[in-house]
Amino acid sequence: MNVIETSGLGKRYGSTWVLHECTLAIPAGHVAALVGPNGAGKTTLLNLAVGLVDPTAGAVTVLGGKPAGSPAALDGIAFVGQDMPLYKNLTAADMLHLTANLNRRFDQHFAEARLGELGIPLNRKAGRLSGGQQAQLALTVALARRPRLLVLDEPVAMLDPLARHDFMATVLAAAADDGMSVVLSSHVLAELERVADYLILLSRGRVQVAGEVEDLLASHRMLTGPAAEASQYAERPVVHVRRGAAQAHVLVRATVDDPVPPGWEAHPVGLEELTLAYLREPGAGALPGPARSRDTQPSEVTR
Amino acid sequence: MVIDKGNGAPDGRAGASPAGGGLYSDQHLRVSDAEREAATGRLAEHFAAGRLDQAEFDDRVGRAMSARTRADLNGLFADLSETGSPGVPELPRGGGSTPGGGPRGPGSPIEFRLDAASGVPTYLQLVQQVEHALRLGYLKPGDQLPKVRDVVASLAINPNTVLKAYRELETKGLTAGRPGQGTFIQATLSQVTLPDLTGLHKSLLGWLTTAEAAGLDQDGIVALFTSALRDFHERRGGTGDRRGAASAETEGVA
Repeated sequence: MNVIETSGLGKRYGSTWVLHECTLAIPAGHVAALVGPNGAGKTTLLNLAVGLVDPTAGAVTVLGGKPAGSPAALDGIAFVGQDMPLYKNLTAADMLHLTANLNRRFDQHFAEARLGELGIPLNRKAGRLSGGQQAQLALTVALARRPRLLVLDEPVAMLDPLARHDFMATVLAAAADDGMSVVLSSHVLAELERVADYLILLSRGRVQVAGEVEDLLASHRMLTGPAAEASQYAERPVVHVRRGAAQAHVLVRATVDDPVPPGWEAHPVGLEELTLAYLREPGAGALPGPARSRDTQPSEVTR
Repeated sequence: MVIDKGNGAPDGRAGASPAGGGLYSDQHLRVSDAEREAATGRLAEHFAAGRLDQAEFDDRVGRAMSARTRADLNGLFADLSETGSPGVPELPRGGGSTPGGGPRGPGSPIEFRLDAASGVPTYLQLVQQVEHALRLGYLKPGDQLPKVRDVVASLAINPNTVLKAYRELETKGLTAGRPGQGTFIQATLSQVTLPDLTGLHKSLLGWLTTAEAAGLDQDGIVALFTSALRDFHERRGGTGDRRGAASAETEGVA
């Protein structure tokens, strides 16, 4: 099952396409990271997926083919936006009460226990909680709905390192508990390697890279060798070249088993290095075969 | 000036440290992972300041991680003074300093940590830490590894990463999963006895002296050692064929 699937998805504001010809399929059971420069269309894509925005072109479905924004889709999705959506004048208890009444499913016991564990007083107004506590309250409200897909837009951008760690720990523990899928957008590349096992790289409104992190890392190698030969190296698709006067680093799509040219050294790459290389080369792409149209069977990931 | 007479503690100390009973108020409240980690961090400071020895520290960290209420956490600091400048006399060690600190509670005897700067993939760090703990005797056959969910919650890492590490340990024959219970150690790694270790340490010090005399600085020594270790592993990691070929080659040269 794909938790988010789009085909030819596009969104135009005025004359500007913020998302264009976006086709992707995010399989269930992953913590998927949506990465890209500012203005790449990350927030737009997430807003389309949760049904806050209607597409200009193409289609988006969630949780195995449910149209985005339909009641069935909304039932299974929880979304926490960039600005920690809370009513600042409501107490934590009122936030729980409100959410419980606006949703078909709400685990009041879980929510209260969780806030207790976090030491967040139920009678305090949301606006008077610390930034980290507000984030945790918004997350608790989202998780208490027991979603099958949790969508987070830049969830940790405003948090200090400890609050960030605790926030992600809560998200990941919930994913470990009941197999909830997570899609999150983030700028914090260094943390992604620990958190995400699926990567989608958006650039200029298009999908540039998509795939399981493990597969992406296994299919890329950094070759280091004499700069003079860097341009001749064309056996494998080259993603990015960094060239000094004498030495060059070439990121290529190759596996451990591919031959290394004489005089060159091959190293594995990390997720951050890989992502940066693709961000610098908006023309390069690494996309999986399927996910073109909805009638092709998506390659189910067995693990 | 009004001084609170309720507390008999000397003025300066009472001001500097709210230790004793009231460090975390609301004793009955359940504690979060963050508070447990904060407590662990403070224990580490006490350990670094020499107020706890290794065994006490390990024991208390174990109890901090399994603490349920604030009272549990406060108990860990009851006999520790926060005012510790280096000049402050150390607290009595051993003996009664760990009240009720008997054998390990339920759960795992080890905790994982991550080193983002090491460049070692996360799952491999977990595997290596289990192997390390086995070698040093922190883990014995029958011991339980931390539950996947607990590792995920304490390190904020992807659940699949932990599963991968545990699969790898199982493939290596070091652990076995028991359905519904968790992952348990079932084999042990050959441990080097202490006298052997001391001898090896000594001979390594001798080598280090030679290396320094030859003009190598610390980075040079690390580089040389790492490269030698890699050669050693590569040579040993090869199949019997390769070793045979290598020795045949040497014979040929000779």
